[in-house]
Amino acid sequence: MAVDASKRLPSQENLLLDYVRRLEDHKEGRKAVRLHISKLKSYNRRDHHIRAASNSFESLIKTLKGQLFVLKNSDMFFIYKGEAHTQTETVVQKVRYLFSDDPLLEEGKDSGVFTIWFDVQTDYSEILHIVQGLVDEEKKRATEVSSRMDTRAALKAKQEQGEPLTPEVLERVETALQRTDLSSLVRRQFVCSIDKKMVPEPVFSELFISIKDLRETLLPGVNLLSNRWLFQHLTETLDRRMLAMLSKTDTFTISGDISFNLNISTLLSSEFQLFDDNITAARRGGMIIELQKVDIFADLGAYLFSREFVQEKGYRVCLDGMTYQTLPFIERKRLGVDLIKVFWDGEMVDGGEKMSAQIKEMVENAGDSKIVLCRVDTREAIDFGHSVGFKLFQGRHVESLIAEDTRRRELLRLKMRMERSEAPPED
Amino acid sequence: MSHGQDEASQESLLLAHLERIDGVQSGFYAIHIHLSQLRSGNRKPHYLRIAARAFENLLNNFEATLFQFHSADFLLICREVPIEEVDPVIYKLRALFNEDPLTLGEEGSLDDRFTTWYDLSQGRDYSTLKEMAAELAEEDENRRTKKAEAKAAGEASAMQGEDLNPGNLAAINRNLEGVRIIDLIHQQTAVEVVPGGKGNVLFREHYVSMFDLQKRIAPDVNLFGSSWLFQFLTETLDHRVLAVVARWDFEEMKSPISLNLNVSTILAKEFQHFHNNVGANTSKVVVEIQMIDIFSDMGAFAYARDTLQGSGYKVLVDGLSPLSLQFFEPGLLGADFVKINWSREFLGEVPSDRIVEMGKVVEQTGKDKLILSRVDSEDAIKWGLSLGITRYQGRYIDKVVNAMVSKGVI
Repeated sequence: MAVDASKRLPSQENLLLDYVRRLEDHKEGRKAVRLHISKLKSYNRRDHHIRAASNSFESLIKTLKGQLFVLKNSDMFFIYKGEAHTQTETVVQKVRYLFSDDPLLEEGKDSGVFTIWFDVQTDYSEILHIVQGLVDEEKKRATEVSSRMDTRAALKAKQEQGEPLTPEVLERVETALQRTDLSSLVRRQFVCSIDKKMVPEPVFSELFISIKDLRETLLPGVNLLSNRWLFQHLTETLDRRMLAMLSKTDTFTISGDISFNLNISTLLSSEFQLFDDNITAARRGGMIIELQKVDIFADLGAYLFSREFVQEKGYRVCLDGMTYQTLPFIERKRLGVDLIKVFWDGEMVDGGEKMSAQIKEMVENAGDSKIVLCRVDTREAIDFGHSVGFKLFQGRHVESLIAEDTRRRELLRLKMRMERSEAPPED
Repeated sequence: MSHGQDEASQESLLLAHLERIDGVQSGFYAIHIHLSQLRSGNRKPHYLRIAARAFENLLNNFEATLFQFHSADFLLICREVPIEEVDPVIYKLRALFNEDPLTLGEEGSLDDRFTTWYDLSQGRDYSTLKEMAAELAEEDENRRTKKAEAKAAGEASAMQGEDLNPGNLAAINRNLEGVRIIDLIHQQTAVEVVPGGKGNVLFREHYVSMFDLQKRIAPDVNLFGSSWLFQFLTETLDHRVLAVVARWDFEEMKSPISLNLNVSTILAKEFQHFHNNVGANTSKVVVEIQMIDIFSDMGAFAYARDTLQGSGYKVLVDGLSPLSLQFFEPGLLGADFVKINWSREFLGEVPSDRIVEMGKVVEQTGKDKLILSRVDSEDAIKWGLSLGITRYQGRYIDKVVNAMVSKGVI
């Protein structure tokens, strides 16, 4: 769902504290340096600055000489082995050079303001104290933000997204839906395998009703996503409309395999029976039914029954809506689904090597032809996906790759035609 | 397929059918499919409807008749139908219910409790089936009479009526916002059983009886009719309950209490207010969160859990069944307690390798975290003990607790 309130991972502050605690018995020969990026002018603290600064430590990290922690306020803590002191000094010098235009680092300044060096063995308790302080501060900030968020976020959401969905409004929408032609609201997005050269190869496409457009058509000013349970009920009505549209093959000339979302309650309804009666066995093989994870856990028994029921008929089943947080709970094979969709989330990258390794293992367990990274809206997402073994992708960025690829082929064709017409006659 | 009051029952139709073929049974056979022995969760009407449809081809193309008993059992009568045509249908049915212990016995083996076959050309099989049909027809007749009497007497069973829908939801929600709630809050004790027949109180769960609530706010509506809309109502209910409980004196409270709350409630202002009142007594409060809520937004759950635990509350994951233990490890959710709802259908029957697997999950989750709830008999406790569980809650436990209190061992 697009309205995820807050994601919570062990923060870098917590990881740092954990690391420092574990250092207690290995203090000897260790050193540390803190870079007060937070004290720089804001124009020097943009994302790309932070990235450039942290990248400078990369070779030291790769050779296992040290560990870098980038805190919420952008400060950096680098803890390293004494043998790498000279190299570290060089890197720090490089970082200082990056920010040499900042008043803090003007010629002759910085006597222990921007960089602070520690010897872990002698300064251990001081380091522990500083880090503990950072964790407390971060915790306080998070709580403040969350309580402030409550009213503020509600107001902001109302201004930006409209009035919240209420039972009364839900009833109106569902009644209206029964007589609205939704075919113009159906969108299609491709799931593609993407190779290292970023060339997309469509595998199947998902058909869905655009909630944004639905809202604009039916209920401008109402935020359909504001209550997940009411929204979930609305999707049951959308399911039935989707099934009705899919039954009318003449309105839909769809090439290739397709997928669409359904509630388990819909699979068990007479509407689905009717739909199923009207399509050929061959078409069932080209259809993938996407189920939401919350639906599966709402009634595991109902899920197991309906999965067996539709798979036996030849449909494939896809578990939709997984996140890197829920993925560890699910074994694709045990739940018996044919495919899993995982939402892309920038935090996957922020989680560092450990999370990457975890995700990689999960992709391997699921099987790389059985797991899709979706909601991919940047190149970064695909790069990350590749690095942990994903082969299949879906999302806005994939759509633009497809468009780009089509354009390229078009150009190539044009060029070939031109070359041919320029070639001298053969007689 | 309907069981209308005035229509002839399927049981009596079967009896009539059997009488019609008396003397000309050659080529006839019957298969009794014991769906009534499925776990109750697998016997839902829409499942049975789907199961019945598996026979459609057979019924359309061959001389075959299907009877669906009130008990949920199916009985198929065939005449000269090649067994190879019937086998795939039965196989399909087994697959549909393959999570149910009923389908574990191999087809045709001694352990097969799923089907019974009758060769009706044999006098003995024929008369056995006919006797059974006569018995069933009579039972069904009695049942109908009783039902008609009950109806006349105006008795209504639990949660009947129209399903919850967006049309009636608004009014019910308004009722819920204004209704008196304090006298609907019940409590039940969760205990840890320790050697020597003693028990320690873990906490007392305070909950609103849905049955009573329905009677008060929506006597003609089945609140469980839509799981999503029911979930919506619980958000309103949370606010009502929190407002009541926030007035209690936590300082004086002897044993901890537990409350059922949605994640969205924990992150809302109402909880802040409650929290201020609890003050330094957060360790006396256990917050129970439902699986469906957790999986609908894991990020929000993790945040709520950390916030609660960080302030000293205990977090309990509710809404698991023994079945869910076969599919994931609740230990990964980082809660202080995990509650598993016992139900009679998990007694026995479960093959030992699954029990072993569940035992492993119990081990990984941590035995001291698991609570078996809805315990209604000693059998349930035996089942729990076999998995190493020592924490229990339920009607049977209430009796045990009362006995312990009077003996002074708790």
